[in-house]
Amino acid sequence: MDRFSAILLTSLICIVALGQFVQVVTRYVLQVPVMGLEEAMMFPTLWLYILGAVNASRENTHIRANVLEIFLTTATAHRVLAIVGEVISLIIGFWLTTWVWDFTRYSWRVWKESPTLYIPTFYGDVALMVGMVLMLIWSALHLLRDLRHLVKGPNHG
Amino acid sequence: MVEVALLSVGVLVILLTLGVPLPWCFGGALMAMYFIGDTIMKGNILWGMQQLGNPVLLAIPLFVLAGTIMSESGIAASLLRFVSAFIGHIRGGLGVVAAVSCAVIGAISGSGLTGIAAIGPLLIPEMEKRGYPRAYATALIANSSILGLLIPPSVTMIVYGWVTDTSILACFLATLGPGLLIMLNFSIVNLVMARKFPLVLDDKPSFSELTSEVTRRGIHAFPALLMPIIILGGIYGGVMTPTEAAAVAVIYSVPVGFLIYKGLRLSNFLAAGKEAATAVGAIMVMILFSMILSQMFVLEGIPQKLVGAIFGITEDPSILLVMIIVLLILVGMVVNDVTAIILIAPLLLPLMGAIGVNPVHFAAIMGVTTAMGGVTPPYASILYLGARIGNVKVTAVIPPAMLLIAVGYMPVVILTAFWPDLSLWLPRLFGYQ
Amino acid sequence: QDLKLSHVRPQDATIDVEVRAFAAAVAAATADKVKIEIFPASALGDYTTVQERISVGAIDMAVQPAGTAADRRMQIASFPYLAENWAQARAVYGPGGAVREAMAELYAAQDITMLAAYPVYFGGIALNRDAVTPGSTEPNGIKVRVPGIKSFQLTGEALGYIPAPIPFSEAFTAVQTGVVEGVIGSGAEGYYASFRDVTKTYIPANTHFEVWFMIISNESLSNLAEADQAALRAEAEAFEAKRWDVAEADQAANEQKLVDLGATRVALSDEELAAMSAKVRETVWPQILEDIGADWGQAILDKVAAAN
Ligand code: NA
Ligand code: NA
Repeated sequence: MDRFSAILLTSLICIVALGQFVQVVTRYVLQVPVMGLEEAMMFPTLWLYILGAVNASRENTHIRANVLEIFLTTATAHRVLAIVGEVISLIIGFWLTTWVWDFTRYSWRVWKESPTLYIPTFYGDVALMVGMVLMLIWSALHLLRDLRHLVKGPNHG
Repeated sequence: MVEVALLSVGVLVILLTLGVPLPWCFGGALMAMYFIGDTIMKGNILWGMQQLGNPVLLAIPLFVLAGTIMSESGIAASLLRFVSAFIGHIRGGLGVVAAVSCAVIGAISGSGLTGIAAIGPLLIPEMEKRGYPRAYATALIANSSILGLLIPPSVTMIVYGWVTDTSILACFLATLGPGLLIMLNFSIVNLVMARKFPLVLDDKPSFSELTSEVTRRGIHAFPALLMPIIILGGIYGGVMTPTEAAAVAVIYSVPVGFLIYKGLRLSNFLAAGKEAATAVGAIMVMILFSMILSQMFVLEGIPQKLVGAIFGITEDPSILLVMIIVLLILVGMVVNDVTAIILIAPLLLPLMGAIGVNPVHFAAIMGVTTAMGGVTPPYASILYLGARIGNVKVTAVIPPAMLLIAVGYMPVVILTAFWPDLSLWLPRLFGYQ
Repeated sequence: QDLKLSHVRPQDATIDVEVRAFAAAVAAATADKVKIEIFPASALGDYTTVQERISVGAIDMAVQPAGTAADRRMQIASFPYLAENWAQARAVYGPGGAVREAMAELYAAQDITMLAAYPVYFGGIALNRDAVTPGSTEPNGIKVRVPGIKSFQLTGEALGYIPAPIPFSEAFTAVQTGVVEGVIGSGAEGYYASFRDVTKTYIPANTHFEVWFMIISNESLSNLAEADQAALRAEAEAFEAKRWDVAEADQAANEQKLVDLGATRVALSDEELAAMSAKVRETVWPQILEDIGADWGQAILDKVAAAN
């Protein structure tokens, strides 16, 4: 899983970098800018952002301000705090996902197209729905793990 | 409506305190606006996604990746060796090397973490060997690492320019002056501190030894030194846009890292790509929801009402500036730099306009104070990373870090706020108003 | 009823002033029952997003160009060299005009009602350098920024320039640093609003006729009382009529503003303009027609030709 996400994310970011690089070369060196390249690059870019965020959920490395954690000393207190955070994340995430679902259905219905190549923007928009669902699943898995540890202690989990 | 906005900010702060991941903190604030304030959510995801699609934001992952690659590949290490060839041998020189190297690295990386990640593992043991306390060395490098956000390119200035519709190139230049001043301050503070440490010094090299060493290391560092020239020269020389420059930095650093400095291998290249994508994904999802929150505020006219409310307290620009700096420092203590800018910049920009602060000057004020957030506890990502790299307790790093902030950093924050020319003369020199 | 109205220019720009007058007139006509709150400078997002948000009823109104993402046929609004003078423009885009009727239908399909057309200007080319053979369509090697809209890219090329697609957010700095040497796709008013500090030469090539539309979400409109709807429509009509009277003079005034800042306004002869128009009609029109549906598009072009 680690290897897979590393290859996927690195490929995406390299595709995006290459696209921008080609833009400079064609415009500055060859004097023939490529039309539509920037709108085509929008798709890997959106997937890069969203899948990067999913990976942050998987690795549990989303940015957080662990203010309270510093004042808590016992491992159990830390675990309880983590569980509280995960439950809240799930509730909020679920609510946001209903709106993202609303947006995804809209995007499907209207079937917008990019301005010059006419690529359906749905292929980029749908990344958010996929990402939200995956992030919710990872949050739920983290919650289950923490609950199990809390009940049985980390050595049995 | 202002009450609802305050309430949603309150929810945001509570969720932050509980350690809920930032995107969901903003989601919680949105829920508060929606359920209590009765604002509409319809069409907001649409708007947020459109914001994410702005090509300007693409510079962020690319500059972060360039920074990660340079710390993995040996590019940063060769820059470090080059800088230390000049001043490594004088008393307290290694500390100066730390500050200057972080500034040079900052001219390639857009993030505040690259400096400590790239040179911490090399310089902390070396400084300890020469007699610097380990905690002090760690604090110094972590503090200097912030320069990555002040020496252009800078992720925070990209975000500021984007949310406030200000020239990103002008914003880049706005923090350069303060950044160099901070580098100078840290160097001076370090030279004073070094007198107290029982330092072991090399024999002073002769002039010819020195020049040959500088030349040797300079040749080795040449491909690395080309990078800031390509990036900044390319941007300001009219070859490419900042986003494209970020891509060029990545494309350039890959062969240089694999073939010339040889620190890059497939495994750590993939790890670097994944790390940059993950860091940026986390930022982008947060941006998505925070931009929606900020749009809700705009729809309700909160920024204008805020100006009115604040002017009810005082209209004195100096007092307001002090209040804003205190606010920014407090915000920087609990959230990271990019978040602070997204949250605060759109809210305060109308106020700045009302008291006659130039948006580029405000960019410098925001850039300098929010960058400091990376080393101010409780949420001090750069300092914590430093403690991990330096293998010292966070509690041991905090006192020397606070000293450096108080003596080296704060004076520049105040100077930046009250001496606009410090941040405006470079942008003006390049023709930005 | 509070209506939120978005437009794309800064506070105190011409459109801002005109929309504020419109809002005041609506308030007066409805005894303050309909209040229009104005959000200038794309504070609610760029026009494509705002159009989508209006279509779902999240924002009420806007005065802005037509976004073509949801329906590529909306490119008909900025078809290059469709009108060549103000009289023709009025016949094409004004009340009863072929393009205007077509646009109203397309908006309706997106749950949006078009209340008025807002004629802005004939498009031109702004350069941060001296012009090279501005009257000719031969390749001149000058790189210009074009918006990500196909007809502008093709038109730029047809007029002899090298069109470089650069996002609007980076366009000003790109011109300033010299990544590109100019901009195409807007007119004197737009260049004055966004590029005045980097415009050294203005070429009034009449590339296209820039027309914006005052639009309102069907949902927001139907939420108003019948009488208020009628008042809103009547005021929108007056808003448009007033604009047609001043648009031409306003364009000249904006060109003069650029000149006052030190820009050179190139003078093009009627023959040169006709040659440009002929080249674009020959090379660009077939491609755009292909994209938007040749039959649908040709029918409108025929009506335009009949009216001129
Ligand atoms: Na930097
Ligand atoms: Na902090």
